Amino acid sequence: MLMYSLRRGVQTIPVVLGVVTLVFCMMRFLPGDPAAFMLGEGAKQETIDAARADLGLDLPLSTQYVNFVKELARFDLGQSILNRNEVTQLIGNALPTTLFLGATSLILGFSIAVPLGTLAAYFGSKGKTWMDQTCTVGALVMDVIPGFWLALVLMLLFTLQLGWLPATGPVEWGDPVAILKRFALPVSVLTFGQIGVIARVTRASVLEVLGDDFVRTARSMGTPELTVLFRHALRNAALPVITVAGLSFGRLLGGTVIVESIFALPGMGTVIVNSILGRDYPVIQGVVLVYATIFILVNLATDLAYTKLDPRVSL
Amino acid sequence: MTSVPASAPRGYSPSATFSMPRRWLKARNKKNLFGLLILMPVVVLALVGPYLPIPGPLDVAPIDSLQGPSISHPFGTDKLGRDIFSRVIAGARVSLLIGFSAAGLALTVGIVLGTVAGFMGKAVDGIVMTVVDIILSFPSLLLVLCIVAVFGNGLPQIVMAIAVADAPRAVRLQRALALGLKSRSYIDASRMASAPTWYIIARHIFPNTVAPMLVVASIYAANAILIEASLSFLNLGIVPPDPSWGNIIADGRPYLQTAPWISTFPGMLLALVAIALHLFSDGIRQNLDPRLGV
Repeated sequence: MLMYSLRRGVQTIPVVLGVVTLVFCMMRFLPGDPAAFMLGEGAKQETIDAARADLGLDLPLSTQYVNFVKELARFDLGQSILNRNEVTQLIGNALPTTLFLGATSLILGFSIAVPLGTLAAYFGSKGKTWMDQTCTVGALVMDVIPGFWLALVLMLLFTLQLGWLPATGPVEWGDPVAILKRFALPVSVLTFGQIGVIARVTRASVLEVLGDDFVRTARSMGTPELTVLFRHALRNAALPVITVAGLSFGRLLGGTVIVESIFALPGMGTVIVNSILGRDYPVIQGVVLVYATIFILVNLATDLAYTKLDPRVSL
Repeated sequence: MTSVPASAPRGYSPSATFSMPRRWLKARNKKNLFGLLILMPVVVLALVGPYLPIPGPLDVAPIDSLQGPSISHPFGTDKLGRDIFSRVIAGARVSLLIGFSAAGLALTVGIVLGTVAGFMGKAVDGIVMTVVDIILSFPSLLLVLCIVAVFGNGLPQIVMAIAVADAPRAVRLQRALALGLKSRSYIDASRMASAPTWYIIARHIFPNTVAPMLVVASIYAANAILIEASLSFLNLGIVPPDPSWGNIIADGRPYLQTAPWISTFPGMLLALVAIALHLFSDGIRQNLDPRLGV
């Protein structure tokens, strides 16, 4: 297991390097003169030259790359063009909000979707097709309803009509009730999408396992149906669910970008949208790198969990 | 569907053979027909939109500002008095165009590179799959955001960005399918008969992978449409006043309480089209492989 984890860890190194290279190329691929492009039309030539020197864009490409990697190794992501803030600091301020949003939605999504999908599979296998169909169609609808649209509908209902939950305003980490209220809507939107994806896969996977011999054996021994379902079937059906959960985490991260900008949460998503609109490329670079790193780590964790859970997966 | 067979296969079966579209449609599962039934009116409306006797999507009429749905304006009007129905139809053209062309592009790249990777052996396979892994380490919406941030937010750039984000998944699937077929005995037989590689690919590999690839293409199209809408909603995609479902929904944001119809109708259509594409894909998949269950 340890050897496998190490080997799997080593395998991610080229991927991380590739991601770094791609992000490095991003700013250099800008049409025309990157410095002039970032400053927009009407910038003075001196300002452009200064910015170019400042970003090191006047050096040979190879030197630029080496510098980029060196600075990255020191966790130095440069400065924002717009407000001169350190990019690492901007990200440091924004990351907790995004992680909190993502983690809460993931956990909530899991704890609702897995039982739901299991029950749908159970009803399906028992011939109660309409129950199964209802769950399946429900999950499909949840899966494909656009998050930003759902966010607007929830906002209309709970903020504008009922006035129960705030849709904007400061995030006060010290006050649990305020946090609960502030995050209720954004988390619901993200959870909604997660439930759709995970429930569908859980259903398919459990349905498959329910036809296996060991389930029949368990039933013939008089094991209570709930035990059969949740202990025997679900455990063996867990692998595809975990794989998909890892993959759908990417969608969740994308979702945070949208949800944060709708609900004005000061997270990474808001930072990246604002910096794209303001052509603040050093910040875009940094945020994209952090997002990709999180995603790579989650995929690594998924893979390791996979082998841990299923001894049949060869190490 | 009352019982589940003991050993239903996981995922797509490489043995599913290419068959005529007619056979996919008339098989016992009607989901794909249902999906088509939802999709067709939207496609037709998008196509004939410019010839319909309705106000143009950009026609401003301040006198009709923020009117609710009525006979003359079935989906109501926005602040500038533009007809939402007309804008939604024009938006459908953009959304469907982006959805289908991005999916088609991703699929083409996927089929070519996936077959090459699966068939050509170690070095090529290694390079292709490393690139695929690198691209897959970006959450897709974020990758699209980056590409648009660098290359601009014109329609071709958006299509390219979405295709780049989706293609790696298509490459992986095609490679897996090709690898699965490679060891089949009829391929060996073909080789024994000294068939050249291109012939084997064209005659055996390609026809056997097209169907499962089409199943995912429909899902890619749904995703592409959703991503474009998200992008335009964030003001980073199609630029107003040109309508796209995403930017119409964004337009309606300040009027959620007073004129909810602006955001509601494009949102509903967006969800409906995505659901239709998913149903279409599900139906075809189950018809190809009846063991998957309803």
